[in-house]
Amino acid sequence: MTPDDLYLAKKAAKKAARRNKNADGQGDLNITSLMDVVSIIVVYLLKTYGSDPVVIMPTAGQKIPMSHADAPIQDGIPVYVSTRSITFNNKKLVQLDENGEVDPAALQGHLIGPLYDAMAEEADKAKQMAAAQGQEEWSGTLIVVGDQNLRFSTIVNVMFTAGRAEYREFAFCVIQTGG
Amino acid sequence: MARRRKKMEEGEVEANLLPVLNVMFLLIPALLLAMEVARFAAVHVTPPKFAAQADEKKEKEDKEKPLNLKVFILEDGYRVSAQGQQQGADAGKSADSNKPTIPLKKPGTGLEDFDRYDYAALEAEAARYKQLFSHETVVTVSAENSIPMQVLINTMDAMRGSDCKLLKAYAGEEVPKECLFWQAIVEAGAG
Repeated sequence: MTPDDLYLAKKAAKKAARRNKNADGQGDLNITSLMDVVSIIVVYLLKTYGSDPVVIMPTAGQKIPMSHADAPIQDGIPVYVSTRSITFNNKKLVQLDENGEVDPAALQGHLIGPLYDAMAEEADKAKQMAAAQGQEEWSGTLIVVGDQNLRFSTIVNVMFTAGRAEYREFAFCVIQTGG
Repeated sequence: MARRRKKMEEGEVEANLLPVLNVMFLLIPALLLAMEVARFAAVHVTPPKFAAQADEKKEKEDKEKPLNLKVFILEDGYRVSAQGQQQGADAGKSADSNKPTIPLKKPGTGLEDFDRYDYAALEAEAARYKQLFSHETVVTVSAENSIPMQVLINTMDAMRGSDCKLLKAYAGEEVPKECLFWQAIVEAGAG
């Protein structure tokens, strides 16, 4: 056997060994590529869900109005007003009747009693926090997360109540349509 | 080693995780793509109290009669008024509550049909006022108690203009010329 033949035989043996290495079907997992994929997914999810200052979680059955408005949602406290109830600070405070009106027992003029109490308490907390952070003035922003079928009278009652609880700025949350 | 050999002898086999991981990593993009992502936006509104202050300030600055544009959403159409005069009112009257300025596009339909209002005609009206009062940006919107929120939002969209994009304006840039009356005041029972 010449040295060339010997070299080719060794090469063929190495090739066969490489080929037979995973012949039993078991593959080695490459942890680096897995980590790459997971990292990309984590960054993507953080970018998608972590950019909004406020997380809007509509209540069950709530249909948020559609609009071609493109103004961003700024920092504020959301109030969820569906055709069945008013939820503030994760607490269902007021039940609405079948017509979408506030129960007259909870209403004093335009003021919704239980909602006012919760909003005033939250406003006090926010003001104290703003003072502790050295902010001169607290700009109370309320994000009204309503429903397509919500009656105008209920919107007015909620805004009036919020105004009494010293919320100065209002924004209606909408789902953006079109470009 | 002895224990492992014993286990293998007992017939235990190690699970092959590779196909499971393949499926998992295919499922992740598939579920992400299947997910419906709603883009939230905000329609900023002002209560009447501050609008009155803003109007007073503007009056002092401009020393001219403000437009004071008001849109009242009725169950049978829009009532539009400016400078205290309702458009389409009878001669000599400042307001005529019997008929709307812009009637319904689809009369006879229920309140749950949000397209029953003539939003295009309202936008055309807003554009006409904007030509006459180019510096004005404020509109007061009010409605009857039964009017649904979607109609209120559509009305504010029409008054703002369908080509109006305010994203850059909120980032500090100038408000585009396409924007008509983009500052909405929501008022109860304004006629």
